[in-house]
Amino acid sequence: MTTLLSTPEQSRARYPDEEGYVERDGVRVFWERYGEGEPTILLPPTWEIVHSRFWKCQIPYLARHGRVVTFDPRGNGGSDRPDGYDAYVRREFAEDALAVLDAAGVDRAVVVSWCDMGESLILAAEHPERVAGLVFIGPPLSHREPDRGDYPFDSEPGTDMETILAGFRGWETKIIPPAEVAALGARVRCPVLVIHGTEDAQSEVWRGEELARLLDGRLVLLESAGHAPHARDPVKVNELVAEFAGVAQAAPATRTWTRALRRPKRALYLSSPIGLGHARRDLAIARELRQQVPGLEIDWLAQDPVTRVLEAEGERIHPASAWLANESAHIERESAEHDLHAFQAIRRMDEILIANFMVFHDVVREQPYDLWVGDEAWELDYYLHENPEEKRAPYVWLTDFVGWLPMPDGGEREAFLTADYNAEMIEHIDRFPRLRDLAVFVGNPADIVPDRFGPGLPGIREWVEGHYDFSGYVTGFDPAGLGDRDELRRRLGYRPDERVCIVTVGGSGVGGHLLRRVIAAYPEARRLVPGLRMVVVAGPRIDPASLPTHDGLEVHPYVHNLYQHLAASDLAVVQGGLTTCMELAAAGRPFLYFPLAHHFEQNYHVTHRLRQYNAGRRMDFATATPEVIAAAVADEIGRQVAYRPVETDGATRAASLIAQLL
Amino acid sequence: MTLTMAAHDPARAARPGEQGEVERDGVRVCWERYGDGEPTVLLLPTWSIVHSRHWKAQIPYLARHLRVLTFDGRGNGRSGRPPTAGAYDDAEYVADALAVLDASATERAVLVGLSRGGRWAAGLAAARPERVLGAVLIDPAIAFVAPPHPGPVYPFDEELDTAEGWAKFNRHYWCRDYRGFLEFFAGQAFSETHSTKQIEDMVEWGLETTAETLVLTQLGAQPGSRAEVETILRAVRCPVLVVHGDDDRVRPHAAGAAVAELTGGTLVTIGGGGHCPQARHPVRVNLLLREFAESLGRRAT
Repeated sequence: MTTLLSTPEQSRARYPDEEGYVERDGVRVFWERYGEGEPTILLPPTWEIVHSRFWKCQIPYLARHGRVVTFDPRGNGGSDRPDGYDAYVRREFAEDALAVLDAAGVDRAVVVSWCDMGESLILAAEHPERVAGLVFIGPPLSHREPDRGDYPFDSEPGTDMETILAGFRGWETKIIPPAEVAALGARVRCPVLVIHGTEDAQSEVWRGEELARLLDGRLVLLESAGHAPHARDPVKVNELVAEFAGVAQAAPATRTWTRALRRPKRALYLSSPIGLGHARRDLAIARELRQQVPGLEIDWLAQDPVTRVLEAEGERIHPASAWLANESAHIERESAEHDLHAFQAIRRMDEILIANFMVFHDVVREQPYDLWVGDEAWELDYYLHENPEEKRAPYVWLTDFVGWLPMPDGGEREAFLTADYNAEMIEHIDRFPRLRDLAVFVGNPADIVPDRFGPGLPGIREWVEGHYDFSGYVTGFDPAGLGDRDELRRRLGYRPDERVCIVTVGGSGVGGHLLRRVIAAYPEARRLVPGLRMVVVAGPRIDPASLPTHDGLEVHPYVHNLYQHLAASDLAVVQGGLTTCMELAAAGRPFLYFPLAHHFEQNYHVTHRLRQYNAGRRMDFATATPEVIAAAVADEIGRQVAYRPVETDGATRAASLIAQLL
Repeated sequence: MTLTMAAHDPARAARPGEQGEVERDGVRVCWERYGDGEPTVLLLPTWSIVHSRHWKAQIPYLARHLRVLTFDGRGNGRSGRPPTAGAYDDAEYVADALAVLDASATERAVLVGLSRGGRWAAGLAAARPERVLGAVLIDPAIAFVAPPHPGPVYPFDEELDTAEGWAKFNRHYWCRDYRGFLEFFAGQAFSETHSTKQIEDMVEWGLETTAETLVLTQLGAQPGSRAEVETILRAVRCPVLVVHGDDDRVRPHAAGAAVAELTGGTLVTIGGGGHCPQARHPVRVNLLLREFAESLGRRAT
């Protein structure tokens, strides 16, 4: 319990536009409003064992199409924890809901409840003018006497969950009694939808079936779903709620449908938005693709900072990109001092992923495409396999690594979790082998780590070789195209006699600590390397003014076409991100790279690949004092390297594979 | 109720559940009902160059979900062919539609009209709002609200010394070479490439009536000024959906857009679409019709 409380709330995909408290009999209840317009949807709490965050997969989507009001139950979240059983009876929750509707200025709402124990029924029966419709998800209500004995609750030993206990005297008292369900049900006049998982182990499906009959409502059974489909099958639940609440009718006043043969060929390209890593390779592939498929139009569904690169290159960014919840900001919030637990950061991005999938979902319903390309677009790949009926175009998946790998200090738990994620991915592909029309590994078979997906699971390399095509690495530029290096240096303003060291941490804001550490090493490095010129590129998400300065040290906020500067440098100091390291490998420049602690991709996948090219000197941030860094700079700067050449036809090969689908 | 051969036409994908006829001023109007869902959709006739078979791509689908009424417009199909121009006034078609609603015991319906049928749908919605849930106007033939297509305008009644292009829209040419006119007009109506079957259908249905009858339909009274048209459109209170092809060479897309604005309706543009999207783009039109009708059906209940 204490660990949970001390964990900061993960990034939300959307933050409330308004929040407040209502107070009834001295008990304060915290509410939030997201979005505006109609329809209004009230998402009330359930049992106080959870708070309003359990609606996190619904809020961002519904709030894009209307107004959403949530509140925390008395006993959890931002609401008070009153003493005494009477404060927790369902009528109090119904009265809280009413007070929240008043405070939020809502006349009438569609009420969507999960595991409603009576409060929504009371609200709809006694205040019909406030309830436009009722959706029950996994309701435990019954209007007849239970046909199974309850376990006696009071004989259980006490726990330390005083607040939960205060409101609990056993289910038979928590849930309103059958006679009351029947009486209230007879008074409900609004449209009703019941959603129930057939494998709901907490509230058997017959309860939902009977409630739907009692209320003359529609019933949607989710086959083999459990008690919380809004969390486990959020796309389907979002669609059902949207349809019921009339969200789908909010079509614009004018629309165009273009007949098929008149449509230009059009692709929707989703570029992984974490940092800047993939922007340049995706641009290179997109350009190649347009060469190979004349007339092809490409729309990008992308977000900052990828959009900065795309805009600078005159690419067309789909306006719905503005709706995407930002992944880079989340990753920055998840990082500590040169430390990013990448696997957990992705897991804790679940709300953002579903929110962004729903943006994609709306885009492709509105606009037909000939092709979808997702470069490590996790939301797309995951939710398509969870909702395969949503596939409506040929789909290409690109990635430069396969396999979630545990960090050693994560112990058994992390090994279990990564294996579970890998197993789900493998099951997805086994069950729907044609969902990805093409899977491209951006690299070569030898770049694949020699690990297994987990206990009892296949070896990663053998499985990837059976399920992927290989494009070779895609640098996004041809080192030969940079021309003579002396000329390049002259053009970029570097003198022949000076020793240039470029320090960069890519596009995310995670690298501030490394920049400071290297800046601290600058005086000593300059003593060891006379004429050293150090150029620090803060990147689009780190404020240069926040960094210390030294004489002879330059700090730039953002450098367009940074790869040219890297190719012109005598040494680079970088994070362990794949793109920048491989740009340096391709350019044949010496470099020091510092994998982020706990970043499994940088520590395993990238390091393994760089070894294939014999490229770079790996550093450990934890032990690299400024003196150690200065010494390494002096060792490496200007060194003649003998890297294995990086292939230059990766973009062409990737585009050739993709073009076959067009 | 009379059952005719048509009801057993094996080429039809759906058979009417009921057929009937109403008579007004001695003119017989034959109607059909398909399906029995909610709400009712009345698929209006259009210009008598065709008859109710022009909805053949809609009826089987809509009838599985809704209650569908059709009738042949006077001047073609199984309905009467009165010999005077006055019998083909707009008001007569609107009155026929009301008579069909009455005869089929239909209290309220969603009206769907193509071209002239769109104009009649607006007229009926304006005049009898209590009978109309909503109106879909497909490539509506509503003049004065937008500039007509550029090009020469030929008088309908006078003998011309040319039969080029729209000069074929002339009573004397019709009586000389009716089939030639039908082929020309169908070619204009289906501006989309690869529309041979739709063009053949229109010509075939056109040949089921005569040039002389079609001349009479052209002489019937229609709204004669922008003011008259605006009065009608602004009187429409029900939800309106306008569907219009942006390559409609018979009625300009701008007219559909203006009608949507004047009625406060929504506009769906068929990119690259000609004058008869219900025949050339039936899937899209079917989905639009069902979505619109069902949204109104829900509101009504």
